[in-house]
Amino acid sequence: MQGEKHKHTQRVLRICHDCDLIQEIPPLKAGKTARCIRCHSILERHRTNSLDRSLALALTGIILFMLSNLFPLLSLKAGGVALDSTLLSSSIELFRIDRPLLSLLVFFTTILFPALSLAGMVYVLGSVKLGHNSQWIGPIFRFLRSTDVWGMLEVFLLAIIVAGVKLGDLAEIIPGISLYSFFALVIILALLSSTLDPDDVWQHQETTT
Amino acid sequence: MSTLYKTGLEEGLLCCPHCNLISRLPEQKNTAPKTRAPNNRQPPSIICPRCDALLHTRIPHSLAKTTALVLAATFMYIPANILPIMNVTYLGSGQTDTIMGGIIHLFMEGMWPLALIVFVASIVVPLLKLLVMGGLLLSVKFGSCWRPAQRTHLFHITEFIGRWSMVDIFVLAILVALVQFGNIASVDAGLGALSFAAVVILTMFAAHTFDPRLIWDAMDKKNLHKQKDTTHG
Repeated sequence: MQGEKHKHTQRVLRICHDCDLIQEIPPLKAGKTARCIRCHSILERHRTNSLDRSLALALTGIILFMLSNLFPLLSLKAGGVALDSTLLSSSIELFRIDRPLLSLLVFFTTILFPALSLAGMVYVLGSVKLGHNSQWIGPIFRFLRSTDVWGMLEVFLLAIIVAGVKLGDLAEIIPGISLYSFFALVIILALLSSTLDPDDVWQHQETTT
Repeated sequence: MSTLYKTGLEEGLLCCPHCNLISRLPEQKNTAPKTRAPNNRQPPSIICPRCDALLHTRIPHSLAKTTALVLAATFMYIPANILPIMNVTYLGSGQTDTIMGGIIHLFMEGMWPLALIVFVASIVVPLLKLLVMGGLLLSVKFGSCWRPAQRTHLFHITEFIGRWSMVDIFVLAILVALVQFGNIASVDAGLGALSFAAVVILTMFAAHTFDPRLIWDAMDKKNLHKQKDTTHG
């Protein structure tokens, strides 16, 4: 890619986001990180083949996310009755017992933001990959990056473990099919955030506009 | 040494926090190069030509906004710990659990590794976050020059771990969804859960409105004074 070549052969000017210091950073080799000379915050990371890898991971993420929503995560068996719980049922049940605010919070952090983030990522990375340009790519990507902290699937995974242990002595807990895809999804999301190089997208924006 | 260091503010350059593009602030009349944006006025802003984000030299009213959010979170922290976060009804007899009560339960059942994780996520992290943010706000307010790199690092740690406090809310959500056996057993959310969720959300917003560059502004001011002294002397 042209942008990639340009980016990693020249010294570039950067201003540290944390301490506002202006500095020049040398071209980075693959996998290297540039840090601020004053406060050691990360200025830039060069990821190999970031666009292709991130797109592949985002697509995998979408499939796993759909799987995680289709089948039960956990089932509880007590007194001859079995109850299933899916990703969505947590927010639905909270709404049903008249806790609309908590319900919305759980819905936003475990369904809406992860779904938006995966779909948006596929759209943005796919457009960049195919060379499409649209005025929406910039604002969408900016939105995705700034709402990243609100997708909390990995925290939800820890909560599943804690809830399973808590209920373990009261009733029989059966891990559902979705639990495995959910576990894989959390790993994929972590990989996605570590392979994504936002500069690739922004440089594409610069060359097309 | 200090003359080598130039900040974006001194040079009138702005860096987009989203796409890293550097833009120049339009020249302003009647502003001497050394004066900083006064507190009572909105700092100058432009729109990033590459990603259309609104850029500021510093986040506007960062200190006031962050202080308000941290104070609100501190007030909510009290009901979050006193009020029950869940009511468990089992065979007609009700039992309420506060956050600490749930942890003690886990510990009593011999699940001490999990008890420790929940203790750190729900008690230690929110408390540390409030203390750290409060400390950072005070240090910026009084222009402290004490270990700015460590303070910046501390800020990023609190920003990163804050979301893990949500684990208790999610445990509650899962239990509510799973344990619905009519009269035999059911779980209901208490008011403490709402307060606790408010603490987590408010501190996450506080981390968002806090501008770490303010930590370094005190250093730059000091360096500027030093330079003045050497040129005058």
